Amino acid sequence: MNNAMQLLTKFGRVAALLLAATLVAAHAHAQVRNSGASPIALNAVLSDSITLTLSGNAVNFTLTGGSPSNPGSTGITATTFWVLKPSVNSLKLYAFFSSSTAALTDGAGHNIPSADFQISANAGAFAPLTNTVAFGGANAGLLVSTVPIRGYNKAGTNSDVMTFNIDLAPIPTLPAGIYTGTLTIQAQAF
Amino acid sequence: MHRPGLPLKEELLLPTLGGKMKTVRISWAVMVGAALALSASLASAQVNSGAQTIALNANLAESLTLNLSANNVSFTLNAGSASNPGSGTVTATTTWTLGAGRNAVNVYAYFVSAAAALTDGAAGDNIPSSAFFISDNSGTAAALTNTVAFGAANAGLRLANVPITAANRSSSRTDAMTFNINLTGGTLGQLPANTYTGTLNIQAQAL
Repeated sequence: MNNAMQLLTKFGRVAALLLAATLVAAHAHAQVRNSGASPIALNAVLSDSITLTLSGNAVNFTLTGGSPSNPGSTGITATTFWVLKPSVNSLKLYAFFSSSTAALTDGAGHNIPSADFQISANAGAFAPLTNTVAFGGANAGLLVSTVPIRGYNKAGTNSDVMTFNIDLAPIPTLPAGIYTGTLTIQAQAF
Repeated sequence: MHRPGLPLKEELLLPTLGGKMKTVRISWAVMVGAALALSASLASAQVNSGAQTIALNANLAESLTLNLSANNVSFTLNAGSASNPGSGTVTATTTWTLGAGRNAVNVYAYFVSAAAALTDGAAGDNIPSSAFFISDNSGTAAALTNTVAFGAANAGLRLANVPITAANRSSSRTDAMTFNINLTGGTLGQLPANTYTGTLNIQAQAL
């Protein structure tokens, strides 16, 4: 009699376990249904760029014959914005003329050379445009500024305040006249 | 054809009887492609901004200025004497910046009247400009008897003539003047005692 009861009890437990397992499996099968994975290819291009703007586009000079100090009428600020690739290490701002011998001219054969045109960048010392730079004529340029490009400034901005002077001491016999010219400002990253 | 279990890179380099030439060609293609990619990468590493221009306008105006070291000269006259020197030397400094079309700078001394360079005023007694002499830079003294660019007829003297060339379009010069009144000519020997005053003008002109 006891054996029969024990057997019946075991049978009941096994049946209960099987029923529970069946219910859990059925419940799980009803909650989760996955589709296949469908990929979307993403392609985002952030192009490198350098934008340069100037606060003004004209400077006048009232010259005094033979004088080393003939300041320009106004300063000009060059603001450079950039977005660059990781491989770029440096951004440079240049000022240049297309000719070193005739930076300014009266059109009658009398010239002011680039060596007598000076720029002070950010209140620094005046420097003549006598270097051969990335742009412009030979010996007609000046490196205004250099910005090292690091991980923190791959995208950034920089301002350079330029003031100008014409030194007529080396050309004291320059005849009176109106001398005009074009100074070009350009940035390069590499 | 890719062989299962063998990496693609190794398979390309695997010498086989049928695919050896093909493998070499593929290797060259890979190298050339890599070189082109590197070249393109280097070329794209340089980025330029647009060029921004600044118009420059410099005006060197013409100028011609003359300054004197002094503005007064006194004379102690001796009746009938040829030599009545002035009390001091006056230096005229002429400074100019001239246009390319100029050829000369002249410096003149002159009176507004030839007959009455100096006068005693209401008494009507005069010393004419012909009796007034200037020695410029220790040169020979000359009377003011010429008609020049300024002043009265026959009442002037050109002190200097400076040719202007490309070498001196902006320059200067000095004229050191000493003075004398010659009281020997005509009726000047009978000039009455009195105080005679006058104004000598010095002026420069660029042509």
